[in-house]
Amino acid sequence: MELKIGSQDLARALGRSQGIVERKSTMPILSHVLLEAKKGNELQISATDLDLSVSSTHTCEVAKEGALAVSAKHLYEIVKALPEQTVTLKRAGNNYLEVKSGPSEFRIVGLPAEDFPALPRFEKLTFVDIDPKSLLDQIERTFFAASNDETRYNLNGVFFEPQGAVLRLVATDGHRLTVSERPLAGDFGLKKGVILPKKGLSELRKLLTEAAEVGEEKSTSQLGFAENSAVFKRPGVILVMRLIEGLFPDYKQVIPKQGEKIIKLGRQRFLETLRRVSLLSSDKSHAVKLELSAGTLRVLSQNPDLGDAREDVPVEYAGEPLKIGFNSRYLTDVVAALKADDVQLELADDLSPGVLKGAGEPDAGYTAVVMPMRI
Amino acid sequence: MAGEKRTILHLDLDAFYASVEQLDDPALRGRPVIVGGPSNRGVVCAASYEARRFGVRSAMPTSQARRLCPEGVFLNPRFSRYGALSDQVFGVYRRYTPLCEPLSLDEAFLDVTASRALHGDGPSIAARIRREVREETGLTVSAGVAEVKLAAKIATDLGKPDGLTVVPPGGVAAFLAPLAVGKLWGVGGVTEAALRRIGVSTIGDLARLPESAVSAALGADRARGLRALARGEDEREVVPDEAARSVGGEETFEQDLTGEVALARALLLQAGRVGRRLRAARLRGRIVTLKVKYADFTQVTRRVTLEAPTDDDRLIYRTARGLLARIEAGRPVRLAGVTVSGFDEEAEAPPQLDLFGGPADAGLAAPTGARRRQALHAALDKLADKYGERTVAPADLSDRGEAERWPVHRRRDRE
Repeated sequence: MELKIGSQDLARALGRSQGIVERKSTMPILSHVLLEAKKGNELQISATDLDLSVSSTHTCEVAKEGALAVSAKHLYEIVKALPEQTVTLKRAGNNYLEVKSGPSEFRIVGLPAEDFPALPRFEKLTFVDIDPKSLLDQIERTFFAASNDETRYNLNGVFFEPQGAVLRLVATDGHRLTVSERPLAGDFGLKKGVILPKKGLSELRKLLTEAAEVGEEKSTSQLGFAENSAVFKRPGVILVMRLIEGLFPDYKQVIPKQGEKIIKLGRQRFLETLRRVSLLSSDKSHAVKLELSAGTLRVLSQNPDLGDAREDVPVEYAGEPLKIGFNSRYLTDVVAALKADDVQLELADDLSPGVLKGAGEPDAGYTAVVMPMRI
Repeated sequence: MAGEKRTILHLDLDAFYASVEQLDDPALRGRPVIVGGPSNRGVVCAASYEARRFGVRSAMPTSQARRLCPEGVFLNPRFSRYGALSDQVFGVYRRYTPLCEPLSLDEAFLDVTASRALHGDGPSIAARIRREVREETGLTVSAGVAEVKLAAKIATDLGKPDGLTVVPPGGVAAFLAPLAVGKLWGVGGVTEAALRRIGVSTIGDLARLPESAVSAALGADRARGLRALARGEDEREVVPDEAARSVGGEETFEQDLTGEVALARALLLQAGRVGRRLRAARLRGRIVTLKVKYADFTQVTRRVTLEAPTDDDRLIYRTARGLLARIEAGRPVRLAGVTVSGFDEEAEAPPQLDLFGGPADAGLAAPTGARRRQALHAALDKLADKYGERTVAPADLSDRGEAERWPVHRRRDRE
């Protein structure tokens, strides 16, 4: 293998692999990227952790075809720091990779390409064209509510549920839940919803962000599902992630019908108030108390070791008073994810979930449900 | 506290595990009962006094115990039952003082100095505790009373079984003097031999010797410490029960286990035991630790923090099972253990309610099924207390084959 490629192109391509490779894996090959110099002046770079893989193709000058696996981290660090615009990569004896750029020369210990796990191939999938911006928005607004608790593996991802002409994304950690619905033209051919893991979604976000930035034609980003994998592709890149096996909880039953107490308040102000008042919340619970009365929402925090804080926020509300506790993080996560000028908060009583929505078009199809804390 | 005379009680349940077995099964009374790991690689956890006559001792390999006492009744330990009884016994102790320092399930120090005004002097408190423990649990406990921990512990040993030994105030040094120097804490075989070389065989010999002579044999630090102990100077205080930091158990397998399936079964059994002990102690922890010792004695531990504290067998099992992925399950494993720690200290924090409990459960902050599992555990724990640990067990733990298992059920159907 021998090829010449732009240093920046290569650095960008290797950057993609950094979130995927396992740094501390029991299998050393999984900390490597696979470099394949192919016919037609193409370099293919692949990384995998066996559940998630990304492969990308880059234009280069191939002097000799061949392949080699090298440490993803070290190659990336080296390429980022190279002095010249171009770099040559050459496989030397004993699986060494020679990296030359101007006056610099590196020799990196590699592993034979045959040791690299075979990446899954999906030729006959039905792909649906997606709007990268729209999907990115849906992922970003739901993602944060997914659980980090490894033991609740079925909640460690985002539920994708295509329904007719709508794609619904749902995430929950058992305490709060986010739902985003957007129109979708096309049919994934899925019989039921599937759960996409957080790690895979993080990488998918990066690819969607790139796509959104270059403003590609809509039809160039595509998503498809195989039996137990999700596949995303855009020109030159393909991402495959293994789906989480397991049942997603029956989320519909926990989304309350419209609550009796509907409060409307300025989004930015609410966010700032929550952030200020929660400075004195306990580090573990992040609890804040909301005291609702006609025209005013009082936000309070109290910490036996530190002191207390409170702030009154003007609201549109004329109903009965209510006191209710929440984890302030759960509220700020949602309020920060909204876009409209005003937030609508729907409450029933101090032990029932609160519903948050944006009061306006940019937040159409988005709902968050947050369970209170007992106070 | 220096200068003020204290009253320390040392309490030790007699042949605890073995006594519990004899208590629960009258047919075992008067017979040599040996509780220990069932395999020949296990060790004796407890031997009844009948068994001790054959020379069986705690910590002896089970195989040796079998040779010494072939007619002995060898039983698997039922730690959750022992734990429950131990809790009950400690409850009696704590009636007399909050200064109760457990050394193990069956052994404790009590500082009753401040309790004397209310409950009488040391010997009478010890006598009352002994009586109440016997009346309420059926177990016998031996007691030692002295001004210092060392003497109280030695006194208990001298009176065993079912004895009460009192070292009178001011009499600690005299009490210790005739005893072999090996009775002192920290004097093992090597130290004992070193002391014998300088003519010390009793604690009194050591107390009388000038410090310089002892230093020459043992080094200055140890000499000072041991000589002080020998003279009955033991300043150590009774450190009241620090809340338990972890609940766990481990098991050395009869044969090394290899592969996740075999290990998972062992973890299922242990998770059940840990869960029961947690529930008995009303503890819930959020850290689950898996410890594995490979056949070559190298050891690894893996831990994971849960989102919420738990005492649920199934969650402990699943978590420990998940940790298996992070060990080399392909290597032969000699020992595995599951521990739960990280008990919730912030008990007063407002509890986060759970979405998936339904409105009826919301007020109890119980996640889906949690209340049902609580009820299930309560019922299973009762059955296990009454009929033994494996009365109802996960089907995965059944040792019997299908053919043997089903007829049992059919027989019951006809009843």
